[in-house]
Amino acid sequence: MSILTVILLLPLLALAALAAWPSRQRVMFQAVTIGITFVELVLASLAAWQFDVSAAQSFQFVQKVPWIPSLGISFHVGVDGLSVGLVWMATLVSFAAACASWEIRERVKTFHLLLLLMNAGVLGAFASLDLFFFYIFHELALVPTFLMIGIWGRGGQRSYAAFKITLYLGLGSMVLLLGLLAVFFLAGQTTFDMVELAAQARQSPFPVARQQAVFPLLLLGFGILASLWPFHTWAPLAYGAAPTPTAMLHAGALKKFGLYGLLRVALPLVPDGARDWMSVLAWLALGNLLFCGLVAVRQKELDRLIGYSSVAHMGFIFLGIASGTALGITGAAVVMVAHGMLAALSFGLSGHLYQQTRTLELDRLGGLLRPMPFLGTALVMAMLAACGVPGFGNFPGELLVFFGSWPPRPAATAIAAAAALVVGAVYALRAVRKALHGPLPDAWQAADDLSNPWRRLPFVLLLAGLIGLGCFPGPLVDRIQPAAAAIARPLESAPAPAALIPLPAAALTRPPEEASR
Amino acid sequence: MQTLFPWLILLLPLAAAALISLFTRPHRDLSARLSIGAIVAGFWLTLLLFALPGAAAQAYETRIPWLAAGGLQIDFGLRIDRLSLLMALVVTAVGGAIHIYSYEYMRGERRFSTYFACLSLFTFAMLGVVFAPNFVQMFFFWELVGVSSYLLIGFWFERPAAADAGLKAFLVNRVGDLGFLLGILLVWSRLGSVHFGELERRLAENPAALGAMATVAGLLIFCGALGKSAQFPLHIWLPDAMEGPTPVSALIHAATMVAAGVYMLARVFFLLAATPHWPAALHFLEGLDALEIIRIIGLFTALMAGLIALQQDDIKRVLAYSTLSQLGYMVMAIGLGQPGPAMFHLATHAGFKALLFLGAGAIILALHHEQDIWRMGGLRRAMPLTFWTFLIATLALCAVPPLGGFYSKESILAHAWHQDKLVFALAWCGSVLTALYMFRLVLVVFGGSPRRPRDAQPHEPSHIATWPMLFLAGLTVLAGGADVEGFLAGGAQGTASLASRLAGPLAHAPFVMLAGLAATGLGFAMAWGLYRGAYRDPLPARWSTLASALRQRLLLDAWYARWIGGSFEALACLASGVDRWIIAGAAVRGVHGSVELTGRLLRLAQTGKVSTYAFALGCGVAALLYWLIR
Repeated sequence: MSILTVILLLPLLALAALAAWPSRQRVMFQAVTIGITFVELVLASLAAWQFDVSAAQSFQFVQKVPWIPSLGISFHVGVDGLSVGLVWMATLVSFAAACASWEIRERVKTFHLLLLLMNAGVLGAFASLDLFFFYIFHELALVPTFLMIGIWGRGGQRSYAAFKITLYLGLGSMVLLLGLLAVFFLAGQTTFDMVELAAQARQSPFPVARQQAVFPLLLLGFGILASLWPFHTWAPLAYGAAPTPTAMLHAGALKKFGLYGLLRVALPLVPDGARDWMSVLAWLALGNLLFCGLVAVRQKELDRLIGYSSVAHMGFIFLGIASGTALGITGAAVVMVAHGMLAALSFGLSGHLYQQTRTLELDRLGGLLRPMPFLGTALVMAMLAACGVPGFGNFPGELLVFFGSWPPRPAATAIAAAAALVVGAVYALRAVRKALHGPLPDAWQAADDLSNPWRRLPFVLLLAGLIGLGCFPGPLVDRIQPAAAAIARPLESAPAPAALIPLPAAALTRPPEEASR
Repeated sequence: MQTLFPWLILLLPLAAAALISLFTRPHRDLSARLSIGAIVAGFWLTLLLFALPGAAAQAYETRIPWLAAGGLQIDFGLRIDRLSLLMALVVTAVGGAIHIYSYEYMRGERRFSTYFACLSLFTFAMLGVVFAPNFVQMFFFWELVGVSSYLLIGFWFERPAAADAGLKAFLVNRVGDLGFLLGILLVWSRLGSVHFGELERRLAENPAALGAMATVAGLLIFCGALGKSAQFPLHIWLPDAMEGPTPVSALIHAATMVAAGVYMLARVFFLLAATPHWPAALHFLEGLDALEIIRIIGLFTALMAGLIALQQDDIKRVLAYSTLSQLGYMVMAIGLGQPGPAMFHLATHAGFKALLFLGAGAIILALHHEQDIWRMGGLRRAMPLTFWTFLIATLALCAVPPLGGFYSKESILAHAWHQDKLVFALAWCGSVLTALYMFRLVLVVFGGSPRRPRDAQPHEPSHIATWPMLFLAGLTVLAGGADVEGFLAGGAQGTASLASRLAGPLAHAPFVMLAGLAATGLGFAMAWGLYRGAYRDPLPARWSTLASALRQRLLLDAWYARWIGGSFEALACLASGVDRWIIAGAAVRGVHGSVELTGRLLRLAQTGKVSTYAFALGCGVAALLYWLIR
């Protein structure tokens, strides 16, 4: 049995076992959830370690069990260089989210069952190689999100938030389902298997006109799920109202599904449809980066600020995808992993802060670095990582995105860099200035730092992950790069979009990726 | 050893920072020792590298792969050549003295260990910039320098002024870094490499490789120096950065970080000197080249900051504007096409400016954090050692022979004289200003009679703090004997005898030398006339408009806050309004609302009364019948 199947079955088995457990023993549920997610993390780390880098573009740890042969649906799991990092990141985020679930005091059993279900769904979505399961696993994770916000959410807006996210993401999923079914019919209704579909698309590409009709559906569906501008307004609202573990898991891991889907399904299967949309996607990415960054500057609450910053970060990923180059796509995938850890870290910290102060209004906070040195330092680091400071995982990813996106689109890249370097610094450091620096109001003199080392553990792990990735991006990049190159190849085969500044013809002066080909 | 030593020099401070923040934070003394030990070890290793046969003679590199994707290959490496060795020596020598001084200055601090961790992090980042062999690595450490500067300026984060100053410094630097990053991307897309040596080779092979963007690329990269070295128009962060602890101001905002911009320009000088060429859209700039613009900006900064320094009352702010002014001279030297004199001035300036700040720190400590020079006075008797070291550094800054500052500044002025008489004349005026504001400072702080509260009894700091000051004073005196320009130019050392070098300025450009001395004398005479025994500044009474403009920093800060800050806020406000009312409001709620409205309208029909349904049924039947029979 593949190690991936084990990772997927663990939470489901734990779910079944815990469902039968009496709900009085509340500690039990968190302990088992933490234990299970920890084992998953260890297994995923093992898989990432054993992953054969020399064959990173092919799927490894594969298991295929036919399920409905007449429709070509089978349980098919496996990871390539693109998804192995995501699966690892998702297990890390799940573990951190499970550790943060101590803030839940009511209906502890139900919450943890839902958390395990969400966990299984996230991992399944990243590990599945069958369109059917790919979609179903994502839905499996999405439904608990709605319930958790509605039941355990915080603040006066939680009902509205639950309502809005349910309808909005429900709409996105529906559009996506249409797109996926269209792909299925386009490919002759024989199989849902993503590997076979991709091979088919490579050998005999689908008719261009059809591709052009299908791609917008996929882009819209995946885009809504990944908060592509202007379909982003659900995200800050929902994350502000969600209980901490849910926000961590959704913003960190589940939201990457939309981006992963674009890379895994949309670009390889309908590249000719995608190519025309790439410049549109690049400008929408600027909507994320610049527009949402500016909106983040104006936020009055820390969680909303983090929410908008998280939406803004999606812009890097979209920009990298839109570049259509191996460099840009590699960068996008690195940002996906880094941002997963960063989002989980930021929402985890703001959740703990909320437990202490019962407010996240920036004007009422201040000077908290003094009573809360650990949490404060971790939040400063998270904010520095958010504005792309080197040494944290986002930096190499963003750098690769800029390098990848500059040759085809210098103007858009320049705007994106301005948004990243300047606007990002404004909102991130303003949050630090207002919440952590300055005089300490009397109300928070006794605010409690994370004194229990066990509660520090998830944050320490996430920070270690971010710093490790930031200082040593090589291992992850080596895994992603071959897969990214395979995705970029069909996109580049047609004449590249005209650059704003025409490149000189001399071979010497061409960007190295063209020169090396 | 040739590869091991540089790695040790770079990584020891990082190890110290990591150890302190992870383990030794509760042990204050141990933390400080780790941090000091790391940089002092770095200093000795750098000296050893100089002494190793052949190490300084030939440039070499050591590297490990860091990241490789899609044809972009970025190594993490060290480039050891004369330029980086010189800079490493400046950083570790001056930095080491300041680390030791900090031990005394920060003794009562609650977050003593954290302070040293940040200091070591800064040293690591700065040495990373120094040894960087490629643009990406330089940018990596460049940003890290900015971060550690942010952390140290805001070290007393509970004071709103310090927290705001840190924020401002980081943001203004980020604006410069944006240009730097775009410059790197542009150069990479044209030349296909980010490696300095490779770029230089490719540009030498094909001087037109940068095409129409040659000048733009040079200027974009210069933007990075604009931020870090605080040149106009991005100079506004440096005076505010004085909110940090004084040793931090000495290390980061006088000696090393702000010099990083000049160092970077010297490193990539081959790009700045590329054949000037503008794209069609900027054709009206044809005729200007990158170096010319750099020269103008440097000169303008030197004069502007010198003027503003005349009317500052905070001892550290006077020194901060003086730093800006001297950085302007260095940038101007780069713009004159002379990286050698620029680096020479950088090295001597690092020593004497750090010494000035350490002296200021000793005074501030002795007067219980009083920084207003008009509440000092008469400190010459109370603090003789501080006075003499401060005076030596002042004389060096005013280019009095035979101190180090004389030779470096004289060299810059001589090149200005040979190339452009107007630049020389203006730079000469800057020298007058330098002498004026520095002797104003010395006369007001040390001369006259005490103007402080009676109960204060100022005294010298302890030996831990005075030794670094004496060390730096020694360096300042001896620096004139160092043939930095010849060393950087790659000539064999010791070709010219010490005596002939010391008398060099008189032999090469006697007029420039005499003019420079005259400038210093003029400035000193004016200061003597205006400020000897003065109890308050006479200038505001005589020239009130000018003085108040200078006191308000030529209104630039207010103007920036109002127009740039204000328009940014307005833009953010607009985006936020659009997001809230149009995207989330009109569009999303509109769809939601129209669905709901439809639902509500339909619900009106569902009354639950048989009579209503019967009525609707009747209407329906009637309509159907009408349609069928018609």
